Amino acid sequence: MSLSVQHRFLHVGGKKTQLMTLGDGPPLVYLHSAGGETEAIPFHHKLAEHYTVYAPAHPGFALSEGLNDILDIHDLAWHYVDLFADLELANVPVIGYSLGAWLAVELAILRPQLVSRLGLISAAGLHVEGAPMGELFIDDFDKLRELIFFDPSSSAALETTPSSPDDSRMLMWLRAREATARVGWNPYLHDPKLPRHLHRVTQPTTIVWGRHDKLIPLAHGEYYAEHLPNATLQILEECGHGVPWEKCEEAATLLM
Amino acid sequence: MKFFAFHLMPWDRLPADFAERYDSAWTTVPNSLYDPRHGGQLYNDYLDQLVLADKLGFDGVCVNEHHQNAYGTMPSPNLMASILARQTKHVKIAVVGNALPLYNPPTRVAEEFAMIDCISGGRLIAGLVVGGGPEYYSFSLNPTHARSMYREAFDLVLRCWTETGPFEHYGQHWKLRYVNPWPRPIQQPHPPVWIPGAGSKETIQFVAQRRFAYMGIPYFHLDFFQRNFDLFRDACEKNGYTADPEQLGWLLPIYVAESDEQAWAEYEEHLWYFVRNLLKGLVIFPPGYTSVRSIAGIQRGLQQFMTACQTRDDIERGGYAIVGSPKTVREKLQTYSKRLGVGNLLGLFQIGTLPHELACKNMSLFAEQVMPQLRAESQR
Repeated sequence: MSLSVQHRFLHVGGKKTQLMTLGDGPPLVYLHSAGGETEAIPFHHKLAEHYTVYAPAHPGFALSEGLNDILDIHDLAWHYVDLFADLELANVPVIGYSLGAWLAVELAILRPQLVSRLGLISAAGLHVEGAPMGELFIDDFDKLRELIFFDPSSSAALETTPSSPDDSRMLMWLRAREATARVGWNPYLHDPKLPRHLHRVTQPTTIVWGRHDKLIPLAHGEYYAEHLPNATLQILEECGHGVPWEKCEEAATLLM
Repeated sequence: MKFFAFHLMPWDRLPADFAERYDSAWTTVPNSLYDPRHGGQLYNDYLDQLVLADKLGFDGVCVNEHHQNAYGTMPSPNLMASILARQTKHVKIAVVGNALPLYNPPTRVAEEFAMIDCISGGRLIAGLVVGGGPEYYSFSLNPTHARSMYREAFDLVLRCWTETGPFEHYGQHWKLRYVNPWPRPIQQPHPPVWIPGAGSKETIQFVAQRRFAYMGIPYFHLDFFQRNFDLFRDACEKNGYTADPEQLGWLLPIYVAESDEQAWAEYEEHLWYFVRNLLKGLVIFPPGYTSVRSIAGIQRGLQQFMTACQTRDDIERGGYAIVGSPKTVREKLQTYSKRLGVGNLLGLFQIGTLPHELACKNMSLFAEQVMPQLRAESQR
């Protein structure tokens, strides 16, 4: 936990982009979820024990700008093509969580040479018949915690979501919601074309899912595992959508 | 002062335990609760009430658009306005409004409004709105594009009415090779435009700049209206003119009966049905619907919203609804409308479970014993 965390800003294709780095060792890129975990959390630190973790904030999240130029998930993936070029990163492991995992898959399809292997945690991106996703765009924080966490009363659950409109994190929270809605409102957190592209993702892929994920049901993980040519699915018991908090050590170990 | 009868066409048969059992009267409220035969009866009663407003000498009637909800079962106000265009003779017909981003392409609004203007002989008031938060869920329409869609559609509709076609439109949201609506409106250069607002500064500045009329969104505390209307007048001054009171409208529930006691006795249960059931879920701000700062501000401002009221006293002190004898209603409206500086009073005379006969009595007493004195007063 004593690793130093650095924040800096890049200009990626004209967009001011917040970048957090931590740890040392070979590079690894972490793509965050709709929750916008752009400050270091224990899960980042676990990854940083073996890697230099690059954790950029997507446009519209944290202090990153440029959301006006993002109309869908593909624009977001192109933004990362630019970012990888700027950082001279290629053929590196990419770990994504939820929205970030969907983005990682889109990036691997768009520029396979950038991604050496994939770690997908509770990935969005699919519409699976019979396994509808929960409603993320609600104002009720108690309901949100129930949706995301196996134990909504855990300290992790209480620390990651604001508790009232007066919470000091409210403005950043609203920004994150808006940036998520930009790419995930309709179609709802998925890309209807994605299934037809999955056969192109040949990198070794580890998929990690909470058994009790209420936001993105496990059936989505099973679909990915079945249709990605080189993937394995790891299911975590007594775990919801909040994998990096609920099963920090286990998930990091599986993905290392 | 002009007087309008505003109608939501609310659903009056929610189960007694609705407030406990259901999260919202919007978007996800199961439509199995809707009974079409009863719905038909309601629509006809409601249209009769608006036709009555014409006979009683109101200056106008208002209809409005909402989707997938029990609060206002009027997904197409234009259907209602077109019936009223035929069945009324004198009133202005204000559609407040069409939610522009929901129309694809929005030239449809220019067309349908022109039809209503033609059929009514030039009595249309055109309300052009962004649409409520819940509508962005009901239509799965991306709220992060709401404002830019609204601005583009607004300009396009105005162009439809003021330029002759065909012309091309290549905007961010719509690409139209041929824009050439038939028919065109009678009123020139175009029907009066009303824009409702809940206090966002962007809207206030836009309306002031273009010299349109600003309608205050209802169910807020009087102080909240006051603040917004003052902001509007300031914005008009900054644009080099003094606001005409007719550029401002105040919308609120009104109930008049023979005495104060009788008014509350007849009205109170219906008011609470409205507040506790129908308003549930109305106020929701999907991401990007307006700026992050506005959303944060409005969420704090909701302490001054009618749903925070627990008692009759709360209602009366905040001026959330005006209830009482003709004398009481007259005096309160006189005082408040003077204080707010509004030239249009938009009354909700039916708010849900109120029986048809009482809604008609309410409107009749208002027209006969409240309206004439307020009119005379405002002309002095």
